[in-house]
Amino acid sequence: MWDERFETILRKHLPFLPDGAQLTEGSDLRDLGLDSLSMVDLLASLESTYQVRFRDDMLSLGNFATPGALWATLSSVT
Amino acid sequence: MDSAIVFPGMGPCDFATVARFMLVNPVARRLVAVAGDVLGYDLFERYRETSGDYSEYAQVAFFVNCVALATWAREEFGVEPGLCAGASFGGKAAAVHSGALGFADGVRLTAELVRYETEYFAAEHPDVVTQSFVRVPGERLAELLAEMDERGEWYEISCHVDEDFHMLSVHRDVLDGLRSRLRAHGGLPLYVMDPPLHCRAFGGLRDRVEAELFPTLTFTDPAIPVVADQDGSPRDTAAGVRDILLDGIVRPVRWPAVVGTLRERGVRKLYVSGPDQLWGRVGVTTRNFEVVALDPRWATRPRRRDRAAQEHRTAQLHRAAQERGAAQENLARAGASLS
Repeated sequence: MWDERFETILRKHLPFLPDGAQLTEGSDLRDLGLDSLSMVDLLASLESTYQVRFRDDMLSLGNFATPGALWATLSSVT
Repeated sequence: MDSAIVFPGMGPCDFATVARFMLVNPVARRLVAVAGDVLGYDLFERYRETSGDYSEYAQVAFFVNCVALATWAREEFGVEPGLCAGASFGGKAAAVHSGALGFADGVRLTAELVRYETEYFAAEHPDVVTQSFVRVPGERLAELLAEMDERGEWYEISCHVDEDFHMLSVHRDVLDGLRSRLRAHGGLPLYVMDPPLHCRAFGGLRDRVEAELFPTLTFTDPAIPVVADQDGSPRDTAAGVRDILLDGIVRPVRWPAVVGTLRERGVRKLYVSGPDQLWGRVGVTTRNFEVVALDPRWATRPRRRDRAAQEHRTAQLHRAAQERGAAQENLARAGASLS
């Protein structure tokens, strides 16, 4: 499971996630309001917070489909 | 001049949000009815029944909603900036809002262009698509394009959205390789547009539209200048606005140039009129302006609910209305003192 920083950052980019609603590994981030531009902001926030750089094969939309997929991608570079 | 209004390029819309606006907002209802009279069908019903984010009905509905939001903001809150612009598809709404093109002509132009484009791209350039991507600043883009030149691959830049955000038109068979190289340069490939946009190679489409469709439209000098999204030049003549729309077929969008012109003219507040997911949100826009989004979600939000958010958004619009009211009051006083 992900850490608190990840959840805090992610939630800021999900305008359709109601306050207090649970975020699961398989939640559909696009349905929760993560569009292409907020994805770019999210990527920049994660790179800045965790002091990492997403590598070539990580820069695909599929890695931003669910919290589980995104955390797995982030974990692989931290 | 401290404010301007811009009309966004088209993107996929949440039908439920847009539909509510089209049904509930009085200006939208009025314009949807006019569009229906022009086109000879019920726009809302066709839009509801037809799948596809870029169908003729979706495109006309997007155009109508962009114009309706700006009109409603003017009528309801006195939002009346002295300068406007349209990004890509938004050029048609900008032409209408500026007064250079009548609303009915704007509806016909939007619907007919879809038909011309569909026919053209079925026969010409069927393998050309447009890839959007971010996180590739100019110098790295130049390296990437130099690599493509070495391989003899055809491409055209269709859109400069921001310093590190572009759209590139290529042949479909190099798309996988392009995405790999974008990632290798640290970029994030976003979406592929098919049919493609804004390329010199589409001169045949421009010629046909100019010869057959544009003579049926009436352009007049705009009441407010329109900033061309191809080069940032302000246009204040009928011919100038007409050329923005025609040249949009064959010349790339340069949004940073539009931003530059607006800044030079003293614009600090930017109203973005339409269901926007891009132009009002990219860094080059948000760094340079206070952005006020005039979108269907805001326009249909119940006034008594979510008061804090509502008040925050409407306060900006009310300030504009108050400024206008004060000006009118001053004029009235001046008139009274003269009488």
